[in-house]
Amino acid sequence: MRFKNYSLAFLLAALILPSIAVVFVAVLGMINQETAMEAAVSSYVQDLAENMAYQLNADFSPYKLLGDAANYPFFAWGPSMPGWVALISLEGNIITASPGAVNIAAIWRPDIPAGRAVRVEDKRGAQYTLAVYPLANNKGYVVAAVSWNNLLGGLVKVTRMWPVLIVLMAFGSFLAIKLLWNMLVVPLREIVNELSNAAPDFNNNLSAVKEIKSVQEALKRFAQAAVERDNLRNSYVRDIVNVQEKERVDMAREIHDGPLQDVTALLQQVHMSLEDEDGRPRLERTEKLAKSIVRELRALCDELAPPWMDLGLAETLTELAERLSQSYDIDVIAELDELNELDECEGLETTPELRLSFLRIFQEAVSNAVRHGQASEVIAKVYKDNSNNLVLEIQDNGTGFDAKTANLTHEELRLQGHRGLANMTERMSLMGGTLSVISKPDQGTKIIAAVPV
Amino acid sequence: MSVRILLADDHPLTRAGIAEFLRREETFDLVAEAEDGERAWELINELRPDVALLDIRMPGMDGVAVSQKVKMSNLHTATIMLTSYDAQQYVMASLRAGARGFVLKTVSPKELTAAINTVAAGGLYLDPEVASVMGGEDFIPEPLSTREREVLLLAAQGLSSKEVARRLFISERTVQTHLASIYDKLGSKNKTEALLLALKYGVVTLDELLDTQHDGE
Repeated sequence: MRFKNYSLAFLLAALILPSIAVVFVAVLGMINQETAMEAAVSSYVQDLAENMAYQLNADFSPYKLLGDAANYPFFAWGPSMPGWVALISLEGNIITASPGAVNIAAIWRPDIPAGRAVRVEDKRGAQYTLAVYPLANNKGYVVAAVSWNNLLGGLVKVTRMWPVLIVLMAFGSFLAIKLLWNMLVVPLREIVNELSNAAPDFNNNLSAVKEIKSVQEALKRFAQAAVERDNLRNSYVRDIVNVQEKERVDMAREIHDGPLQDVTALLQQVHMSLEDEDGRPRLERTEKLAKSIVRELRALCDELAPPWMDLGLAETLTELAERLSQSYDIDVIAELDELNELDECEGLETTPELRLSFLRIFQEAVSNAVRHGQASEVIAKVYKDNSNNLVLEIQDNGTGFDAKTANLTHEELRLQGHRGLANMTERMSLMGGTLSVISKPDQGTKIIAAVPV
Repeated sequence: MSVRILLADDHPLTRAGIAEFLRREETFDLVAEAEDGERAWELINELRPDVALLDIRMPGMDGVAVSQKVKMSNLHTATIMLTSYDAQQYVMASLRAGARGFVLKTVSPKELTAAINTVAAGGLYLDPEVASVMGGEDFIPEPLSTREREVLLLAAQGLSSKEVARRLFISERTVQTHLASIYDKLGSKNKTEALLLALKYGVVTLDELLDTQHDGE
């Protein structure tokens, strides 16, 4: 979690640190190069001055030399590096010099040590490395100089520009980061804020960045879908609660109108029998009444939760088929050959949930077949399909219907008032199974409930 | 010789009511009461009563399971289901588990006496309410033909008309005609009830039913 919180800072550091490293390495490189150059230039001017002094000592007389510098190619052409060589008198006046050595007075200092290269600067800030070598018999000095401005002119200027460039770059980086922050991080934060609202609307355009815009669009769609889904679920749950309440009301009414009235009557009969001289005939009536109350209550219990489901799937469906057959006065047949065979071969174990689901689906299917399809025969089968599902298939010979509704989700079914179908589909989806309805007008209806086992 | 009886029911009031009646009857000897299936089975094993009255739904082992154990152990105790459930599949399950009687708790003392005496004498007793009798107790149904008996016993195993037809090498239509005739003769509305009535009237015997069940397995 900590890492996540700081990951943005980490990311920025990852961007900035390499930049700093690049600058640092570049500066280091510059310094190294300059040092190397300096060493090379120093030894060059030293050697040059020494060589010239040696040559001049050997074969010239200074007086012959005056005005005859052309005899020495050094003075005519100058050194091979940008710079100059000059022969000066003890007082510092130029005796002869290569081109460009016009300004020697400006940089000449008598305290320049002989034989060692030094770096000097003229009045205009131009830098030179020069070496002075004395001639024999105090005839003067040989001076060799290399001009840094000419040698490294551009490079030196760029080097001076470095600090400015670094500042500019830092400023640019900061600006880029600020821009990124404003265009990416801030809008993302606002999107997050918006999402934590109960009903996000995303109406204001948060960012000019295309990607952020599409994220915003996508989230907007998601949020709207979630809100719609929420509303759907709310009305779905509301309907379930309503049905639950209605069932309670119905059950209360049934108990009130049935057993409660009967027990009241029973009690009255008992009161009267107590007062009668010969209570026997009345008691016989009371006994009959009590029996009918028991029957009524038993039927109520059977309807709420059939106890015979405990016996097994085949028994459950057989009992239900016979009961439905009797109560609707149509043929309801449970063809269980395949189920019995499965049971014998594999010892099929069914859970109470599966038995209850199949029982309710069978009940609902027969009820629908009679009420909506005017069916006179309903046949239920149980078998195993290729995908190892246990399948309850219920076929009726009723009028059938346009099965467009068959493809709706259980939520939509419930909201459109198809509670029977919704119930069946809900049960199957709770079991991890599926429910399909195949029907065409005048061709009956087939309901296929499949549950993985 | 009085009939030695064990009574098992987890509901104290019901148990007390039935026990009171059993004690009042001189030919009956209530030897023990149990409040669950496990206890009932222990007491049957220990006391070897002639008749055990068993509630179906009890905590732990249910009445059908106790009956099954009695049957498997070849004890001479005859079991009667005494229950609130009127589902015919319960009757079938009880009979398969070896019960020789099925009586609802709403039964009158006279009927309960008859049930106990019948099973103690080796007979079979079914409550009139679970297999509705037509024409009173003395009704004697028209006898079933051999084919009809075959059809009824196969159908009672839970076979469909199609499968019964296949096994008997006759058409499905013929099977349905036979079934209709059986229902008509016995006054039943469906296969299960037809079989129960056939047992009740002695048209088929319990052993025949259990034998075919065994064949079918």
